[in-house]
Amino acid sequence: MRTHWRDHDWQLLHDAPQAPALHMALDEVLTDAVATGRRPPTLRIWEWAGAAVVIGRFQSLRNEVDMAAARQHGIEVVRRISGGGAMFIEPGNTITYSIYAPASLVEGLSFQESYALMDAWVVEALGELGIRAWYQPLNDIASDAGKIGGAAQTRRGGAVLHHVTMAYDIDAAKMLRVLRIGREKLSDKGTASAAKRVDPLRSQTGLPRESVIARMVDCFRHLHGLSRDTLPAGELARAQTRVREKFGTATWLEDVP
Amino acid sequence: MHGEYKMPGGKLVVVDLDVRGGRLAGVRLSGDFFLEPDEALRAIDRALDGLPAATAAAALADAVRAALPAGTAMYGISPEAVAEAVRRALQPEAA
Repeated sequence: MRTHWRDHDWQLLHDAPQAPALHMALDEVLTDAVATGRRPPTLRIWEWAGAAVVIGRFQSLRNEVDMAAARQHGIEVVRRISGGGAMFIEPGNTITYSIYAPASLVEGLSFQESYALMDAWVVEALGELGIRAWYQPLNDIASDAGKIGGAAQTRRGGAVLHHVTMAYDIDAAKMLRVLRIGREKLSDKGTASAAKRVDPLRSQTGLPRESVIARMVDCFRHLHGLSRDTLPAGELARAQTRVREKFGTATWLEDVP
Repeated sequence: MHGEYKMPGGKLVVVDLDVRGGRLAGVRLSGDFFLEPDEALRAIDRALDGLPAATAAAALADAVRAALPAGTAMYGISPEAVAEAVRRALQPEAA
């Protein structure tokens, strides 16, 4: 049976900065925990311990990333469990969060409807910050001034993971040195420059990143209810194991070479 | 050989492949699309491996469709888009 946001007891996780590979692992561990009912539905705000390129589950490492440039700039390259495109992350420059929801929340919905449902609260939060934003199919969050962020979803067992990265600020020149963004990718975007495709939240809100996050969390709590949680040691340990066995390995990173 | 196709209203579909003895070999699909389950990616690669390089686009798409695990969900990608990326890999000048 289809459920609604208020049918669930939403938990907030917002921990100290963590390494990129650990974030990948936490997404898998926490999605599985919600799928099996071991964890209530959760909103997790990410803090980044280091610069990263996060590529989508099905992206070719070689086609997407200049590994030599990434090494030179001290950027960790990781692969996530959801599809979608590559993201360039520097601590303090992005706002990233995951929603771990029971599959019942999106039951019977098309992909497009389910992205719209999961993005609606953040569109409202951005509106309260004075940004006219909307969900732009297939998986963007857009504004009058340009793209703000991108979402990716994956459904695993009884749960759906919906995670979003929004640009708070961006070093577009560095991004273009590390990411290979081809012409075909930009062919129907109507812009000649990849750097112009993303317009960051800092210029649009004039607020510190922490304030934007606080306003987003307030909006989620107001709409859907939200209690503060801390990451249990068991889940952290499971994620650390998953980093050693999967997300931190060359086998996983190069799974699509 | 390398072919890219940005499906209208969809995502980027990329195919890398070789041709050996007139047949597709080492086919590798990638891109920023959404595909479930995970195993569908390798199923598509395997379905295309060994097909004659002269196979028509519609037949390539049929081969992809037939190989998808039960319950496969595609978002931003389709069997036809994969076939178009293969065609572009084989005829880079036409891309």
